[in-house]
Amino acid sequence: MESKKKTALKTVIIIIAAAAAICLLVFFSRSDEYTDSFIAMDTYCSVKLSGKDAEEAAKEFKEITEKLDSETLSRFEKGSLVYSLNENSEENIPESLAKYFDTLFDVYRQSEGAYDFTLGAVSDLWAIGTDNERVPGSDEIKAATGLCGADKLIYDGSSMTVPGGMKLDLGSAGKGIALDEIKAKSDSLNLKKCVVSLGGSVLVCGKGNFKVGIQKPGAAGYIAVINTDGAFISTSGSYERYFEKDGVRYHHILDPDTGYPAESGIVSATIIAQSGTLSDALSTACFVLGAEKGAELCLEYGCEGVFVSADNKIYATPGAAEMLEITDSSYSLEVIR
Amino acid sequence: MKNKIIRRGDIILALAAVAAALILLIFQRTSSGGRVAVVTVNSEVIARINLDELSEKTVIKTDTEPSAIIVAENGEIYFESSGCKDKICVKTGRLTHKGDTAVCLPARAVVSISGSDVDAITY
Repeated sequence: MESKKKTALKTVIIIIAAAAAICLLVFFSRSDEYTDSFIAMDTYCSVKLSGKDAEEAAKEFKEITEKLDSETLSRFEKGSLVYSLNENSEENIPESLAKYFDTLFDVYRQSEGAYDFTLGAVSDLWAIGTDNERVPGSDEIKAATGLCGADKLIYDGSSMTVPGGMKLDLGSAGKGIALDEIKAKSDSLNLKKCVVSLGGSVLVCGKGNFKVGIQKPGAAGYIAVINTDGAFISTSGSYERYFEKDGVRYHHILDPDTGYPAESGIVSATIIAQSGTLSDALSTACFVLGAEKGAELCLEYGCEGVFVSADNKIYATPGAAEMLEITDSSYSLEVIR
Repeated sequence: MKNKIIRRGDIILALAAVAAALILLIFQRTSSGGRVAVVTVNSEVIARINLDELSEKTVIKTDTEPSAIIVAENGEIYFESSGCKDKICVKTGRLTHKGDTAVCLPARAVVSISGSDVDAITY
């Protein structure tokens, strides 16, 4: 009897010890990282957060993005501010939005029109990515480009009127604006690390260092890694949205000057900035301008740029080169001085 | 001494259980693990495919409009075709590395190889 009792007790103790060990395992291996993905602004978005408020933050970030699109920036959603503006009605621009417009007007001027957020009439002609995509006639393009130009907007800092025929298209800045709003929100939450990607426009902030890969043009994977302790990083590339007609490839980044897809010798422009609006707008401007002029523009704004050419060269501003690590050996780095 | 309930052997056994758990923990944290492709449609996971242990071609047709056909074979996974207009998903090509992701927005389908050496990819 005595020995049976002992054996039973022993078994219990060993089970308790093993259970304690397993609890230990679960406790230490649990991660406070919270990941989620969603579709908003007509693009794939993902968040990777850690910290006490991670889950709540993910929800808030999604809401911010969806709301900003449907209420303000979308030009297809009836009832959004941009939709109403494009119907040529005079609209009040709330202060919270005016600061972003100020940035966009500034990039328009500094880039001498290479960045223009009023190209809707031209992009409607090309309709890239829709059932109606086509190569428009040169007369049509000439007429449509004549309707564009942010300098033609009637804007006094608090109200805006879009002239007849002009269509605002904030597709090249919307994700960046959303990232700025997300960053402001994240500052009021308890987060350790914050990684947000809205269709490839990325915000990384919080404790520690981050690695952000630059997509390999036209393929999965990345060709280089940007090391940073926090930044907004956006890329404009010609390899994703395009169509082919009679053997010619027509991509979606249009040169405001010609109304045709921009040809500046690069296939992607990546900008590292301290604001999402700036990184988004500058990436488009730099794609249109090309590596050298793009680098000059970056430096005017205190931003860094990485430009990838079709012949596998990576051109980087000096600051960007210091952050950059080439991970694909078929690419070589050249610093723009 | 003879009546002692817990003998030295028992303590060793209990310690062994703890050690086994710890080894498992360390192994779990350091091992890179296989490449697992996760296929989601409408944010719901519809398939998990271990690309390193793939023995035969796996074809997934999404139950969406438009629908997309996702193929896993030879350690790769990719959108073979899609009823969408822009075909961005097909153009993304074959996914082979951790973190590689292809998205078909019209079919609301995402294929991603879990785990990555980078925090995010800009595109």
